[in-house]
Amino acid sequence: MPQAITLNEITKSYSGVKAVDRFSLGVERGTVFGLLGPNGAGKTTLIKILTTLMRPTLGDAFVEGFSVLSAGKEVRRLIGVVPQENNLDRYLTARENLILHGRLHGMRPAAYNPRIDELLEMTGLASRQHDFPDTFSGGMQRRLVVARALVHEPRVLFLDEPTTGLDPQSRRALWDHIRGLRRSMTVFLTTHYMDEADALCDRIMIMDHGVSLADGTAPELKDAFSRAHIYQVEFRADHSKYEAMLAGLPFVRSVERTGATFQITLTGEEAIKPLMDSLAGADIRRICLKEPTLEDVFISLTGAKVRE
Amino acid sequence: MFKGAFSIWGRDMLVLRRSIFSELLAVVAYPLTLYLAFGFGLKGYITDVGGVPYPLFIAPGLISMTAVNAAFDDSSWSMWFHRRVQRTIEEYRVTPVTVYDIVIGKIFSGFTQGAIKGSVVFLVILLLTPFRIDYSHLPAYLMCIGISSMTFSCLGTICGTVIDKPENIGRVQSVVIVPLIFMAGIFFPLTSYPATVLPVIRLLPTTAVFEGSRDALLFGSIPSHYFINLVLSAAVCFVLAVYTFNRKMAE
Repeated sequence: MPQAITLNEITKSYSGVKAVDRFSLGVERGTVFGLLGPNGAGKTTLIKILTTLMRPTLGDAFVEGFSVLSAGKEVRRLIGVVPQENNLDRYLTARENLILHGRLHGMRPAAYNPRIDELLEMTGLASRQHDFPDTFSGGMQRRLVVARALVHEPRVLFLDEPTTGLDPQSRRALWDHIRGLRRSMTVFLTTHYMDEADALCDRIMIMDHGVSLADGTAPELKDAFSRAHIYQVEFRADHSKYEAMLAGLPFVRSVERTGATFQITLTGEEAIKPLMDSLAGADIRRICLKEPTLEDVFISLTGAKVRE
Repeated sequence: MFKGAFSIWGRDMLVLRRSIFSELLAVVAYPLTLYLAFGFGLKGYITDVGGVPYPLFIAPGLISMTAVNAAFDDSSWSMWFHRRVQRTIEEYRVTPVTVYDIVIGKIFSGFTQGAIKGSVVFLVILLLTPFRIDYSHLPAYLMCIGISSMTFSCLGTICGTVIDKPENIGRVQSVVIVPLIFMAGIFFPLTSYPATVLPVIRLLPTTAVFEGSRDALLFGSIPSHYFINLVLSAAVCFVLAVYTFNRKMAE
């Protein structure tokens, strides 16, 4: 499948510190691509480079074949951008915000007016189109920013942490809109939320310190990081006596208890046999292998330490 | 070409239209008070300046002051607000418009606001006071206001582009703009300055604005050295504003 986005050995340095280091990537046309990483991983820097807001220190990037370095205007004609912060114009109504965007893209009223009607309907904002964004909830403002990015029917949509700060209902509503865009355009999304990436993305890349750490579909990443050594065991009775016993076993790395359920991390896959031997005769209700979540994969790659 | 600049200018005019009455009320009050206080209050003490009645002497400068202040204010605060608070400049920059479209649109917004507000103060002074002019002098005067508004709009754009803290914009106004305006002879003739200082004062762009506008309104022509000063100042400030904005956006 042809590529909508290509990054060739992109490096971006700030005062000698590399925010992105020789980063290469190709995103297939018509897919939803998710870029995951902790704060400071380099995600926003990459989006800024791809949307021509920032020039890379080294390398080049292409959107639908146009270089961000030498054909910025053509790139901007083809992209829609939903930034991290809602940068709506609070002195213009919702509809006027969309009209201004259409005009900045050189559209005529005959072209932008029906499109704006359609988008306001799609985002559920038609009844509030003559109100100012300041009177909107966070979710409505976010939907308006998405609608604005779609006025000129972009071929590539960049969403930088689109649901940060939204309540669960607003997040789900926005997910539905993004799902609706699948196939009609290429979506490049950054997020902190693993469930979001899991639910929306055809392909996920986890990055940190400016480099890619893992790349694949959500099931592929989970499979790759499944080590088959975290088990959940639930006891019917006498659960307290098992905690110390389990913690004392040499092949058990850690034990976390929630009520009658224990999450046991073994030193390796081979430890399952001695574990079963140790539990022989115990009144076990349930024992199961814990499947890794995308969050487990993320934490194992980027570490659990909080970033500034 | 410059379709983007026109769209940005159109946005600013739409916003201005919504608040035009409150804006004009605020803008008219200050120069009108100065005119009444100085023009009438001092009339008994200063009958005329070089043969020109004192209220007539200060009126062109007050109108020009309104225009250039409005141009500076709008450009600086608007640029700062769109860049730092609303971040709408970033939204403009991910569309096919160029940074030149953005800066030129903003400069023209400041210029238009200055020209509109200056014209309204002119009309109000004309309506409420005995101040009268020869209307054949109006084109030269309006040209003078237009060029001056352009210069100050560019200066405002530069401030709004490079200054990040809002209080510093106020400081630039207090320390640079207001002294430049008041030193340029709105309320007194330049001949009051010592002969050693006078050549420097005559070179100030604000002197060209206020002396030039007075000559334009009262005598129908702008002295050539002031006209050259006005045009050169506007051209230099325009180039500087575009260059500064372009540099800032590339950072």
